[in-house]
Amino acid sequence: MAEEKLLVLKNIRDPGYAGDLAAYRKTGGYTALKKVLQAMKPEEVVEAVKASGLRGRGGAGFSCGMKWGFMPPPGDKPHYLVCNADESEPGTFKDHLLMVGDPHMFVEGMIIGCFAMHSRHSYIYIRGESMYAIRRVQAAIDELYRNHLLGKNILGSGYDLDLTVHPGAGAYICGEETAMLDSLEGKRGLPRFKPPFPAQSGFDACPTTVNNVETLANVPFIINEGTEAFAALGTPNNTGTQAVCISGHLERPGVYEVEMGHNLESLIYEYAGGIRGGKLLKAVVPGGASADVLRADEIDIPYDFDSLTNAGTMRGSAAVMVFDEDTDMVEVAERTIRFFNHESCGQCTPCREGTFWIKNMIRQFLDDAGDEALMQRVDRAAGNIIGTTICAFGDAVGGPMQAFVRKFPEEFRKHFAS
Amino acid sequence: MPTFHLDDTPIEFEPGENILPAALRAGIEIPHYCYHPGLQVTAQCRQCLVEVTDMGNGHGIPKLQTSCSTPIADGMKVSATSEKAVWGQTVVNEFLLVNHPLDCPICDQAGECDLQNFAFKYGSGQSEMDYEKRVYGWREVGSFIVLERNRCIQCSRCERFSRDIVGSHDFGSFLRSHELTFDTFEDAQITHKFQGNLSDICPVGCIMNRDWRFKKRAWMLNKTRTVCPTCSTGCNVTIEHHDNRVFRIKPRENPEVNRWWMCDEGRLNYTYLNNRRDRILEPLARVKGELRSARWEAIYQAIGHRLQEIGAQGGQVLGLVDTHATNEELYLMRQLLREGFGSEALHFPYRLGAQQEQPPRPLADPFIFTLITTDKSPNTAGALKAGLIGDSDDKRLKAALKAPPKVAFVMGTPFVDDDGVRQAVAKAELIVHIGTFRSAWMELADVVLPGYTYAEKWGTFVNKADRVQRIQPAIKPPEDAEDPLRILASLLELLGNEQSHAAAREVFDAMGQQAGPFQGLSWDAVGELGTPLIGNGAPQASA
Repeated sequence: MAEEKLLVLKNIRDPGYAGDLAAYRKTGGYTALKKVLQAMKPEEVVEAVKASGLRGRGGAGFSCGMKWGFMPPPGDKPHYLVCNADESEPGTFKDHLLMVGDPHMFVEGMIIGCFAMHSRHSYIYIRGESMYAIRRVQAAIDELYRNHLLGKNILGSGYDLDLTVHPGAGAYICGEETAMLDSLEGKRGLPRFKPPFPAQSGFDACPTTVNNVETLANVPFIINEGTEAFAALGTPNNTGTQAVCISGHLERPGVYEVEMGHNLESLIYEYAGGIRGGKLLKAVVPGGASADVLRADEIDIPYDFDSLTNAGTMRGSAAVMVFDEDTDMVEVAERTIRFFNHESCGQCTPCREGTFWIKNMIRQFLDDAGDEALMQRVDRAAGNIIGTTICAFGDAVGGPMQAFVRKFPEEFRKHFAS
Repeated sequence: MPTFHLDDTPIEFEPGENILPAALRAGIEIPHYCYHPGLQVTAQCRQCLVEVTDMGNGHGIPKLQTSCSTPIADGMKVSATSEKAVWGQTVVNEFLLVNHPLDCPICDQAGECDLQNFAFKYGSGQSEMDYEKRVYGWREVGSFIVLERNRCIQCSRCERFSRDIVGSHDFGSFLRSHELTFDTFEDAQITHKFQGNLSDICPVGCIMNRDWRFKKRAWMLNKTRTVCPTCSTGCNVTIEHHDNRVFRIKPRENPEVNRWWMCDEGRLNYTYLNNRRDRILEPLARVKGELRSARWEAIYQAIGHRLQEIGAQGGQVLGLVDTHATNEELYLMRQLLREGFGSEALHFPYRLGAQQEQPPRPLADPFIFTLITTDKSPNTAGALKAGLIGDSDDKRLKAALKAPPKVAFVMGTPFVDDDGVRQAVAKAELIVHIGTFRSAWMELADVVLPGYTYAEKWGTFVNKADRVQRIQPAIKPPEDAEDPLRILASLLELLGNEQSHAAAREVFDAMGQQAGPFQGLSWDAVGELGTPLIGNGAPQASA
């Protein structure tokens, strides 16, 4: 098997690693936090993260340092950092692995982030179904309180911080950052329109930053090894490593950590062992169900944010789903739209009604009652959801559904009425 | 003031204002459903999409923006009619119809339905959605409203109204995606007194006014702008009527009085307007102890004769009015007593008006609860301003009645439930009653003169906040009834007092020429939204 470039998974790959505080400390854990609390100012931390080029690993790929820099200077209102551990994008399971295998790494990054953004109390919002992850993270936090790494006067620095683990109730939309904030406030999770952005008015109408688990897990490395060491990994605008979740018709599906810009074909064939049973590849969904599907002849590209955007799709949450030659792409489309229809929060008209309508149209193909006009209608209806909704859910449905009919028209034609 | 451009129209705006309210203020329609000026902005129906071609800094916004939620910047350029904006509005309209039953022919909202109007304007007229739609049954969710959820377009106005305006939290969202529905929890019934507003703000026929359902097509109704007489708040309303029948009453926006709302009590207070069975339809005179119908001329002749007789003997002349009388009627009644008989004994039952309803929980703005007062008449403040004798406990009236009056003029149904007052007044030699419906006063009166209800006449009321507001006729009165102003003017003429003002406008303008509460005001200045009474020497209303 090809070798991984280990950064966030470095401890997890050690078979004897227990994941508790003692084990994490043995690997150099919490030295970055110590360095930050003793020798750095909050602005210096923000600048370091900015300089590292770290981009959000949750899906949008926005610069983490810039996001932290949007937070206003300390004022009357408390500041919050909310760790988005909802990980609801279909095909994504890297954060779960990080939380279960090495919970202290991202928590250390989170404490550093809280310090950088003047937060005194922050939240980790974990998907409700991930009971094991919730227990592991809660145990890690309990350990930190016992060892004075959380609570009052952390490491004698005078900095106070509380962290609270909050289990979600399992809605896909609550992975959208503003819906998550609603959910965290105890409301029905509905995405909020912007402006105001969370940095102005987020959780409890206070300045808030939302970061993904893996993003935060990179922060200790940046502090310890320096921004250049991090920026040296990957490509100039896509720095660092990434934990890629590869699933589907593969010999060895799983999470593999590689540098940003690693070739996608290599990920599938060298890391994940290629297609199961030696079959041929038909399609790859490269960034979770929200990403446009790629045909087998389109996968010889670097796997990073910019390259996939240039290829007309997205890296998203690094969930690569692989389909072999026996797959009926109309069934894939149906399963995808069924998911999105079920998970649409129902707030915006185009998404609420569009997912329902497209689901019905795709099912008409599965009933072998399609025709050319129906294909065009799917394409048109999907296109009409793009750019007309509050949150990115609309784009996340519309794009993939258009991609299915545009890239695999022959699959749909097999389901035409005879 | 800073300015932005909506297509070719420059519009001034208040800093912080969003595009849609500024456009509506300038008279430009951008289609919308979830936006309501009285409710929190949610930007969820997506119907009001516009293209921001210039944010005021030379850069446009690539994505379409909802005009309801987008703050305006100075020098901004916005298009609601560009190809891209119209595309957005059209596709949202198409999506809205995906699960809408299109049952306009049997829907009461048809004719006044935002969805119908905008679909007609922006829709393609054809549907490409030929699958089974989601179906819910209909049910009653409150004493006043019926829920027909098939028609719901999920704008969430009802939820926001229940949460933020009345604080009842009894109407919320359930399920999600196309199954998202707004409903009460399980079979709970809404019990607050502002349910009718839910049917007003519902842009489609999902929440229907139970009282109005299946009675009339909306487009057949004539609409008359007037003021609700049900309590001393004087909510601005529209009486909707057809063929001389009143079908419903809806609130009319007035930011100074009732904003967009009214209570259910006021809304249902119209059925009596259609009642002809208990209405006094013609003038009546008592002959040998029995009321018999008579002609107006004969009645006036007889009254004139009696008044001259009694006037020669001297003695007290008493006036009793209730506070459903307009300011103009009170003014002429006052003249009748003062100039005809030198009497100042004009009494009215004075009811203290206090807020009747309290919010169920603390609200950021509990405004709507101030709408219902315990004073169930529209013009108490007007009577106080005019210096009439207000009796909250009848003491002053009973003192006046120790010496039985010779003549009593009774307008409306003042003190009608007070046996003591009725028995004392009954001793008068002549009782002239101006009324609209049968009452105990009618049984005592020697002469009964049929007048008009508030829905049949012009006039003004002064509400609890000392605001003078106009009413105007919506329906025709019974053929043989007469405007009380005309009756009072005729009575004044009988006494030799030539009265040229018999129309409310003339009487009000005359009042505006004299010292008193209305000094300096004119009928036109009151306008359709009323005006506050200020800077006068008349006694202040304590209500």
